[in-house]
This record gives sequence, structure tokens and C-alpha cells, in this order.
Amino acid sequence: MKLLLKQPYFVFGFLIIAFFLIGSFVFEWLNGPDPKQTYFIMEKGRVIEAAPLSPSWLHPLGTDQFGFDMFAKIMLGAKYTIISAMGVAAVRMLIAVPIGFAIGTYWQKRRTVINSFIDPLHYIPMTIFSYLILFPVLWEPMEGFSTTVWERIVIQIVLMAIITVPIVSSLIGNEANLLYQQEYILASRTLGASKSRIITRHLFPMMREKLFVLYGQQVVETLVVFTHLGLLQLYIGGTDVSYDPMFADPPKSIAYEWASLFGSSFRYLQGVPWLPLGPAICFALVILAIASMIEGYTRAVSGQVKIPRRKKVTFVSDKTVEWNQQQLKEKMQLLYKEKQKL
Amino acid sequence: MKRFMQWMLRLAVAFIGILLISGLPILINGFQKGELWWREYGEHLLVIFPLNRFLDTYYSSYIGEYILYSLEILFLALLAAVIFALSFTIITMLFKERSRQRIKTLFFFLESLPDILVILLIQLLVIFVHRHTGVFMSIASTGGEKIYLLPVFCLMILPMVQLYRLSMLTFEAEERKLYVELARSLGFNKVIILLIHIFRNAIISIFFQSKKTMWFMLSNLFILERMFNMPGIMFHLSEHMSGELSLITVCSFFIPVFIIYSFFEWYFLRRTSRGGTIL
Repeated sequence: MKLLLKQPYFVFGFLIIAFFLIGSFVFEWLNGPDPKQTYFIMEKGRVIEAAPLSPSWLHPLGTDQFGFDMFAKIMLGAKYTIISAMGVAAVRMLIAVPIGFAIGTYWQKRRTVINSFIDPLHYIPMTIFSYLILFPVLWEPMEGFSTTVWERIVIQIVLMAIITVPIVSSLIGNEANLLYQQEYILASRTLGASKSRIITRHLFPMMREKLFVLYGQQVVETLVVFTHLGLLQLYIGGTDVSYDPMFADPPKSIAYEWASLFGSSFRYLQGVPWLPLGPAICFALVILAIASMIEGYTRAVSGQVKIPRRKKVTFVSDKTVEWNQQQLKEKMQLLYKEKQKL
Repeated sequence: MKRFMQWMLRLAVAFIGILLISGLPILINGFQKGELWWREYGEHLLVIFPLNRFLDTYYSSYIGEYILYSLEILFLALLAAVIFALSFTIITMLFKERSRQRIKTLFFFLESLPDILVILLIQLLVIFVHRHTGVFMSIASTGGEKIYLLPVFCLMILPMVQLYRLSMLTFEAEERKLYVELARSLGFNKVIILLIHIFRNAIISIFFQSKKTMWFMLSNLFILERMFNMPGIMFHLSEHMSGELSLITVCSFFIPVFIIYSFFEWYFLRRTSRGGTIL
């Protein structure tokens, strides 16, 4: 932990994420769940500017076409976007890590077959895949949603997590299999360690750093997919579609999450560039923050592996230890001879 | 011959996988209503089976044109990305260690830009240039005309940065090898060592790692076509989303890319296993 705090990259990224997350909750607590609405600015009794207002000191990111303050919207929406991206990545890792270790140890012989099934998944663009699967869940049908917002968010997170589980777990499996061939693991296998013990004692501690980095990469990837889905008007927690034939509102999101702020306004780029640019820059900031956290983390931990402290099971005398070492040496020599014969 | 059969098998497995996935929305739709729509799912899977009828309904001539346009953009961008990434790498390799580190940090920041921001900024830049100088480049196509310059440029940037980082890593690993030291001690020029010796060893591993970049580009292309209103297959798909159309779309990218990649894989493996380098 101390090492992490010495890494400027890590601290920089951490501060940005903390600013958005904590700021989002504090902002809602201070100002309530609705952003401030300003229809026009008066000066000397005359209207000088009507909504959408351009960025100024009063509205640092301008306002949208209905006069809602963009900065407030972004701050209110930050928590939904960031937390759901982290949730997707977390669920994905929780499913993929056990499967990956299983592929790398228990199903070693079938690994090539499994990989050849997983490989074509690389060619399906994530965005199209998730759009196809999420559309029935998130797009409001004519008769209204049959699910609640929270149900939809949970379904979305789980589905988005599952989509890339095969790819991530085959990645982990290949990595675990590489480690499995290492000599010290061979030694503990000779001494009779079971596969589950090898996973918990050797593979997992060796791969912990890599798994953290992988988690960060998954968060970034999820954020990018969120922006793409926003562009296709599928927002986190569902898209509220108005089927009114006369005065249909444009599709809008249930919460002020960033993908919807960006996706609903990118057509106005030429007239009111601050509308799509604000959320897009915030996305870029969060992605940059996570990328630099990863960079700082890898710099802090590179070269050192933490091994879990050994539990004291029974009292073992030095003699026994010596005897064990002797046995190990003999077995290793035997193995080595056999290898040479082959 | 046996390898060819294996290759065909891989292709078939991939196609079946894509077919199974394209029917998933039906299952999810049913799941939301609390039922399992296996029968509908099965019908979807059989939709392609009288093959010529399927092609008649979905593969009309304009779809062929859409696919061609999208593929043109994709491969032009890939080519540009590879060329620029490699030439930047070679230029950076000529610098000293310390300035190299700075350039890498710069690219690290560039790499974490999301694609939408890149496209937005480029569109804004074009608008800005147009307002001040009157030079106009079309940022969105209207009425189905084809634009090339800007989309290719937008699509190229992020893959180029990724490939650059990848090839920097490979080149630097290659630089530490003994044959480079030998060449240097024989008095070869730095440029010649880079261009002739390191380059042709590094290019193979760069190629094998570039698959991921390709995948990344497909997602990007989807967004790009939507933001530029380009008459490509991805834009068509996003307007008329359906399982069948997504099947056609994914296959229209998957098959050419798969064939090209497996050809080069075969070629490289054949050359390297004989102990020679390529080129």
C-alpha cells in the first residue's frame, strides 16, 4: 500500500476517480437529485442568452437545450457510470478467474479444443454483440417496461459481464498453464500437492498482480462499450422511449448517466459543441485515470510476489524438514534422469 | 491436405458460433417474459438453410456495395495504421533512451483516449477550419456518397497508437539480442541494423499480436460509420438491427479477415520453421 502511494501515476488516477465518485454522492446530498434549470440569462432587464447557454463561470460546462446545468448532470450521473463499469468488470472477473484456472489445470488436455471454440469470438465486435443482446432488455417497448430500473441494471451488468467471460477465461487459462509447467510447481506436484492446493498456493499468488491489471483493463473496455451503446441510444438502466405520435420526446435515460448525456447530444456538435464534449471528456478522464492507476500499480509491484503466510499446522522438527528435503532432492534427480532418457 | 481440413473445421466452428450468437436476442426476449423460446430460436438457426432463398431476401445488390465500402475503409485504415506505426517506431528507435521514454509517455496518454472523443475532436477541428479558411472536407456524408479521407484518418489513429506501443516493445526486446550486438561490433550503421536485421525479425511477432488490434478496429468502425453517416454495412445494421443482418455483417468481416490472417500465419510459420527469416 505504501509503495502504491509513492507512485505519482497511481495517486493521480486515484484522485480523479475519487473526485468523481465521492463528488457525485456529495453533490446529490447537497443539491438534491435534480440539476438546476436556467431558462435564460437577463442583463439590465433584457434577455441576453437563452438555453442552451454556453459555458461560463456560472455554468462551467454550459446548459442543455432545456436549461439544465451540464456540470450538475455530469456530477449526478458519474456514480451510475463508474460503478456499473466497475461492477461489470468485477462480475466478469469473478466468473472468469475460476474457469480460467480450471482450464489451465484440470482441463489441460482439452485446452486447444476449448481455445479453438473461443477464438472466433474475437471477430464479433463487442459493441454489436452487446447491442444485440441488450436491446430487448433496455429498449422500452410500446407497452412499457415489465422490469424495474434496478432489475434492468442488474441484468445489464450480468449480461455484459458474461459476453466476454470466454475470452478472459481463456486468457487466464493460457497464463495459468504456462505457470503450471514451472519447476517449483513440478516439485510440489511430486510431493503430492493436489491441484486445488497448487491453484491456491502457487498459481493465484503468482497471478494476483496480473489479475488486478486485467481487472483495470476490463473496466476501461466496459466504459468504451458504454459510450458506444450510448451512441446507439441504449443507456444504462434502460432507455425511456416516448411513443407519442405528436410530440414524442427524444429517447432519454432514466438516470443522468454519461452515456446518455453523450449519446443524446452528439448530433448537436456543430451548434452546441459543449453538450457532447463535456461527457466525452469526462469519459476520457476516467479512462485515463484507470490507465494511469494500472501503470502505477505495475511499477509498484513489478518484481515482487506476495506469498500468503504459512499457517502453522503442526510442530515439525528440523529432522523431518531435512528428511523431506532429502526426499525431494532424490525425486527431482530421478525425474531429471527420466527426462534425459526421453 | 490434413491442415486444410483442420482449417475448414475451424472456419465451420466459427461460423456456427456466430450463428448461435446471432439468435440470442430471441432467447433473451423470451426470458424477460418468463418463457423459454427454444422453438423460435431453432427456427432462427435454420433461417439460412435454403441458402439461395436466404441470400435472395437479405443479400440484395446494395448490401454488397455496403459491405465493399466498409471493407475498403477498414483495410485502408489498417494499412495506414501499420505503415505509420512502423515508421514512427523506427524513428523513435533512433533516439536516445531518455527521449524515448518521454515519447512513450506521450503515447501512453494518447492510448487512453476513447474513440468517440477522437472522432468528435476531429469533426470539431474540420468545422473550425472551415469557418476560418473556407476549406471544406465533408464530415458526414449525405445521400449515400462515399467519403474516404476523414473516416480512414479517424479509424487509423487509435489502432496506430496501439500498434506503435506493441512494436516498440518488440523492437526493444529484439534490440537486446546478441545478433544486434554482433552487428554493431562489426561496425554496421544503426539505421541499417534497424531496417534490415531487427525489422524482419520483429515484424513476425507484431503480426501475431495484431489480431487484437483488428478486433478493436471493428468496434471502432461501427461507431465511425454511425457518426459519419457513412453508407457502410455497419450503419445499415445499426438502422435495421436484426439477428440475420448481424449474422451477415459479422460474417462479411470475419471471412476475409480470417482468410488473410490464416494465409499469413501459414506463410510465416513455413518460412520460420525452415530456419530462415522472411523478406
